[in-house]
Amino acid sequence: MQEVALKGFGEVVKTVTLRIRRYDPESGEPPKYVEYKVPVQMGMTVLDGILYVKEHLDHTVSARYSCRMGICGSCGMIINGRERLACQTQILELGKDLVKIDPMGNYGTVKDLVPDLTKLFRNHESVKPYVIRDEEEPKGEYLQTPEQRESYAMFTDCIMCGLCLSACPTNATDELYLGPQALAQAFRYISDNRDLGLNERLNVLDSKHGVWRCHFSGACSDVCPKGVDPALGIQLLRQLLTSNVFVKFEQKGAPKGPDRKSVTGVS
Amino acid sequence: MTIENKKGWISWFNPFKYGTDRWMYSLHRLTGIALGLYLIAHVWETSNILNGPITWNKIMVDLDYPFGQHFGPLILSLILIAAAYHALNGIRLTIVENGLMLPRPYRPEYPYKAKSTRGLNDVLKIVLGILMIITAAIGIIYIYTGVIV
Repeated sequence: MQEVALKGFGEVVKTVTLRIRRYDPESGEPPKYVEYKVPVQMGMTVLDGILYVKEHLDHTVSARYSCRMGICGSCGMIINGRERLACQTQILELGKDLVKIDPMGNYGTVKDLVPDLTKLFRNHESVKPYVIRDEEEPKGEYLQTPEQRESYAMFTDCIMCGLCLSACPTNATDELYLGPQALAQAFRYISDNRDLGLNERLNVLDSKHGVWRCHFSGACSDVCPKGVDPALGIQLLRQLLTSNVFVKFEQKGAPKGPDRKSVTGVS
Repeated sequence: MTIENKKGWISWFNPFKYGTDRWMYSLHRLTGIALGLYLIAHVWETSNILNGPITWNKIMVDLDYPFGQHFGPLILSLILIAAAYHALNGIRLTIVENGLMLPRPYRPEYPYKAKSTRGLNDVLKIVLGILMIITAAIGIIYIYTGVIV
């Protein structure tokens, strides 16, 4: 059985050309495309292809990667015109003999395929991505039912790869736009029943470059490698802020979670 | 030195490789620009009535038949389709951008198809698409035959 499962593994299926956008910051020359021929095996990802180039053809090709299994979110790039994680994209599944690899758009490019993600982290920080409370010191645990956790749990899957900002058409022209990642995270914390920080975040969200700049093209949700659906988060955040105009959003005092006894059975 | 790699406004019109919502976004931008330009031309065109009936009639004939007989009605029909699309998609966006007809947060499952751009949102697209075809058809029949359906 073992042999059947491994049949074909390690054999070169075909040769694919990787067309990589090269930019060398030291020479200062404008970016150009360089082609590399890579023998492709079954199960080989685009990241494997880039590493093959790095090992055998050109050591100076730069890419950012770490875990190689879609957890760290380091290897986001534009592969054949669409934002993807290089480690999760199999070359054979693309079905093309030419694979065009660009660094993520709407960011600066540090070198070759390495984007400058300062903007992503700056935006993420600006929406205060942590639970905000009004008391100085916590007096106990902040409890939460499983249903309350489900109401925001999907947005905690974000790995901050930054693909959504690259796919977003608003971000392509508005440098200061918060972007799908930060807005979805803002919704994640505001809809958390332990959090009381709506008013603190309001001046960032309810601004010219905030939540109203989204035009719902859905590209962020299309490219998200973890299925976070940031577009949904943004629209729900809008709903929350719009309803806040008519009905003041309830965020005061004690946490809305159940008391300890009803969850644990121990008082 | 880090260099800029902004996609710029040209990416508004690059819906390829993304979903239907991105296509509709691109079309919405395109029809919006077309309608804006048409509005300017329309105001200029009708302002010619201030120059008297002779100029007015000449302008009407010139605009209807600059490149043969079918140009004027064709442009009008296209503008009508654009207007119908832009208006109805605008209604859809007003609904979904206020979080209505969208799913509540769910648990993502591989292969991670986003639900916000599908489901009821898709139903809305189909309903408004049918309405758009009806609206445009009524208008185009009127433009070409003068019959009000």
